[in-house]
Amino acid sequence: MEEKYLVCEDSLEGIFTGIYEAYALREGHEHVHIQIGEEDNYRLFAVYLHILPDAVKTAKVARTLLERLGESVYHGLCRAAASCYPDKGEAVYKAVVDALSAGSGRRVMENLRNPYVHRTFELARYTANEAHYEKEFIRFQELEQGILFSRIGPRNNVIPFIMPHFADRLCPENFMIYDENRELFGVHPAKEEWYLVSAQGDFVPERLKWSVREEEYQELFKVFHETIGIKERKNERLQRQMCAYRYQDYMVEFHKK
Amino acid sequence: MVIAMEVRISPQMSVMDKLKILGAAARYDVSCSSSGSSRKNDGQGIGNTVAAGLCHSFAADGRCVSLLKILFTNECIYDCRYCINRCSNDVPRASFTPDEVCELTMEFYRRNYIEGLFLSSGILYSPNYTMELICETVHKLRTVHRFQGYIHVKAIPGADPLLIQRAGYLADRMSVNLEMATAEGLKAMAPNKHRKNILKPMRQIQNGITENKNELTLYKHAPHFCEAGQSTQMVIGALPESDYQIMSVAENLYDKFSLKRVYYSAFVNVNEDKDLPALAGGPPLLREHRLYQADWLLRFYDFKVDELLTVDRPNFNTAIDPKADWAVRHLELFPVEINRADYRLLLRIPGVGVKSARRIVSARRFGSLTFEDLKKIGVVLKRALYFITCNGRMMYPTKIEENYIVRNLTYQNQMGRGEKLPFMTDGTIYQQLSLFPRATS
Repeated sequence: MEEKYLVCEDSLEGIFTGIYEAYALREGHEHVHIQIGEEDNYRLFAVYLHILPDAVKTAKVARTLLERLGESVYHGLCRAAASCYPDKGEAVYKAVVDALSAGSGRRVMENLRNPYVHRTFELARYTANEAHYEKEFIRFQELEQGILFSRIGPRNNVIPFIMPHFADRLCPENFMIYDENRELFGVHPAKEEWYLVSAQGDFVPERLKWSVREEEYQELFKVFHETIGIKERKNERLQRQMCAYRYQDYMVEFHKK
Repeated sequence: MVIAMEVRISPQMSVMDKLKILGAAARYDVSCSSSGSSRKNDGQGIGNTVAAGLCHSFAADGRCVSLLKILFTNECIYDCRYCINRCSNDVPRASFTPDEVCELTMEFYRRNYIEGLFLSSGILYSPNYTMELICETVHKLRTVHRFQGYIHVKAIPGADPLLIQRAGYLADRMSVNLEMATAEGLKAMAPNKHRKNILKPMRQIQNGITENKNELTLYKHAPHFCEAGQSTQMVIGALPESDYQIMSVAENLYDKFSLKRVYYSAFVNVNEDKDLPALAGGPPLLREHRLYQADWLLRFYDFKVDELLTVDRPNFNTAIDPKADWAVRHLELFPVEINRADYRLLLRIPGVGVKSARRIVSARRFGSLTFEDLKKIGVVLKRALYFITCNGRMMYPTKIEENYIVRNLTYQNQMGRGEKLPFMTDGTIYQQLSLFPRATS
């Protein structure tokens, strides 16, 4: 039997449409694979099918997964699908197969002996951890108009997972979070629902103008951050371990004057 | 009195200068946790709380910065020997106004610098006067600014119970510092403080929380009293107390006062007091680390202090962690079969944590687990391998013998491949305790 590769777009929609098409083939799942993005090293004797993301098929898959596997498994799959690793499509697809066809169902994420489930679990955990760190380490700057703005550079696509947290917390504020790796904005108008927008054209965060007192509060926090450390316990290795350089780059208290 | 007030509140000092003094004065308070309280925003103001807590930054000493941790004032009428703010010290003094504290909290919070406010204070004039200032500040923050983030305040021993109650309804967490593990120790170190006065508000807060829980089961919308519970802290290494004494006190506080956390603070001789230990090797960080490890064993691993330490063996082994130390002294229970042992026994295996134990219990329902599976689950096999079997087999042929295992575990440490200490390779803080064991007499 020949191997079939479904080439999907790198998005939740892409992966879910791929899963829909994989089931629609009705050829079992052993020789069907999902691949994210173009192949740069084509395999001999394999068939490549290009799948375009489809909103209706995505919604069908999402509904089935939610109904049959429950909310927490579904969210785990979404987190894995937001990962930066290209093997996520195959992992999520085969984990879904394990849950729906092999019968692990709602407990699928506990079946860590299955290599695909384990990989999905790992990817989901990686995204969840990064989202958690961003909730902690995001720094907002107040712009002229009173809007809060934050720039981040996460490895995984975490914005959809951190927006609900900030939308609740900063309910009366207008704020936006900009993912510079994906050129994606999470936007929250005060007391309204949040949404995602892709950056159009050249967006240069450095051109944004701060409010009058922004710099003063940044200075105050820098000073506080410096004073709160106990010099007899100085331990930069531990500091770096708890808060990696790649986050520190975006945090005002670590910016040199 | 009025004139004195004006001098003391010093309005001409800038907020920046005050923050420098009062942030520095608060840094020896250990607790910075923002956990234990889970509250959604009500749409009326800013803020919410997250059960697990969030650390927003890490200071140069590697400790987390979760809350805006400040003293309201570093004026103090007490003269505790270990404290930088004691009245006999000649240090710059400053006091915030309630408005300044509110503004700093709100503006830091909006920018996601902090999870909330930690407000402590030196004793200005009297415990009541101080506690009132704290209450007023927090009240303003909650009502005028409608702040719904995390607030941790100190209960000042000796303050009126009504004031403490009022603070409890405004704060997520309250704490009273025990300061020293023993009453005699406290007497020697802090002539103005008494153990009895410290335990009184602690008991009051505990009762308040219990009553509030009953109230909340009856009336869902009743106001919360210290939703995130109460904590305390002890200074470690200023006096010759044993680990056994310290841990017994902690166990008592958990059992009898239902504390959420007990913090241990390695002594730093800030006052260079010649009657207090000079601690040439820096603060006793390894000891503090062992105490925290044991504290976790009490709270999450179902251990009792008497299992870990005894009167004849009153201090923790500096070379290996308390759990491994317990395991090598109870080899009759090992090796444990991973595919059959119950959860409680799994928790006792060195290298298996709470998460791995839970994952083992749920994953083995799908079939028996191998060492490869355990690795994926997150078990630290290089520690666990001496204590477990999978389907009746050990990972490598090894002796189940105390000296052999200890030698192997500590050999890994020397090679830098074993237990990860948070400060081991940092030359400046490296402890020489393994060469010169603490006197146990």
